[in-house]
Amino acid sequence: MRSLLDFIVRHSYVFLFVLLETLSLVLLFGFNDRQKEAFLTSANSLSGTLYEWRTGVEQYFGLRKENAVLVLENARLRSLIYDLSDSLDLTTERALSSDGVVVARVIDNSVRKDDNYITIDKGRRDGIAQGMGVYSSDGVVGIVMAAGRNYSVIMPVLNGNTSISCKVKGSDSFGFLEWYGGDPYVAQIKDMPYHSAVETGDTIVTTGFTSVFPENIPVGTVSNVERMKNGYTLRVHVNLAVDMSDLRWVYVHSRIRDAEIDELLRQVEE
Amino acid sequence: MGTVSFMRRLMTLVLLAALQVFFLNRIVLFGYVTPLFYIWMIVRFDSSMSRSGILLWAFFLGLAIDVFSGTPGLNAASATLLAMFQPGLLKLFVALDRHDVLVPGSDSMGGRQFAGYLLLMAAIHHTVYFILRSIPLGDWTVLALKVVFSVVLTFVFMIVAEQSFSNSGSKRS
Repeated sequence: MRSLLDFIVRHSYVFLFVLLETLSLVLLFGFNDRQKEAFLTSANSLSGTLYEWRTGVEQYFGLRKENAVLVLENARLRSLIYDLSDSLDLTTERALSSDGVVVARVIDNSVRKDDNYITIDKGRRDGIAQGMGVYSSDGVVGIVMAAGRNYSVIMPVLNGNTSISCKVKGSDSFGFLEWYGGDPYVAQIKDMPYHSAVETGDTIVTTGFTSVFPENIPVGTVSNVERMKNGYTLRVHVNLAVDMSDLRWVYVHSRIRDAEIDELLRQVEE
Repeated sequence: MGTVSFMRRLMTLVLLAALQVFFLNRIVLFGYVTPLFYIWMIVRFDSSMSRSGILLWAFFLGLAIDVFSGTPGLNAASATLLAMFQPGLLKLFVALDRHDVLVPGSDSMGGRQFAGYLLLMAAIHHTVYFILRSIPLGDWTVLALKVVFSVVLTFVFMIVAEQSFSNSGSKRS
């Protein structure tokens, strides 16, 4: 009995090891998606302040470039307004209001992992909720995965769980954009119907089928069309419009989901 | 008991975790390769430390990095495992006297032994880290490439750190 106790005391570190390792693995695998969201949001409310401080410093050094980008975008938007002003009544209040779009600053970002996440400095308090679409001046960024009070975590295109409904611009061929790790500039649309009219160089945009994104937000350009061996589908490689490694400001499409569409979808799924 | 005070260790932990989260995690060579330099802390644990102490420090180092990089458990698991192996690996490369306190370094162990020790430490840690990160496992070649090149990069960082800090830190006996 005594020697058993002795043994246990002398090897207590083994028990400690098992305990700590179990704890880590529970954190790693025991989390289902919902718990993972909770971890991410709480972790981010903790680290949000730190991130913000760092981003504040970094952004100061990027001001010149940012200005240039803003000027360009202004010019582009202006030209769009002129193009559209004939066909739309732009004087109505609805058309001019910025309702439905929240501007947010990226305070943490990664492109190198297999599942990347982006943190932004806007949360529930600013009207952000789970499932909203996020885009930048260049194009689609991702979908809000979890919204904390002051910060939100976005699942960008560069995440194995993200799937975004998109189509070939000017045609009806559509599919879901997914990413399988590796190159942060290229994603794939798999399972596009074989007969789809899609060619290298075509522009891919959002469909607007779901209310996550408005229609026609750029996703990227087709770099390669692969015919699958099964003879039914195409795999389309897309050069992403957005450089995910250089994101500073994003827009969250916070237009409230049409409750009726949601209700119908739910009924169909049941 | 310990040769290094608790506060000094805590500072090392905070500094290494911050360095990893804010700078090194953003280094991505060829889309895959990242230095995981924070294992430096585990590498440098001296031979007088209790095994439980090593495990606890490593666990909290990993956990701190996990909290700030949104990877629950990943770094904690791989750092704890490395900590379990550290005392044994040290003995593998250098014959320890009972009463000597050995701080792993090229002065105390000899350059070649220290390099071997560093490579093996990095290899164990990175293999576990990248396997855990890539589950469900798919592409073994990509996984192996990530491990090999990240080990090389981490190794380079550790050698640089050794060269720059060892002179000021080590006391010759």
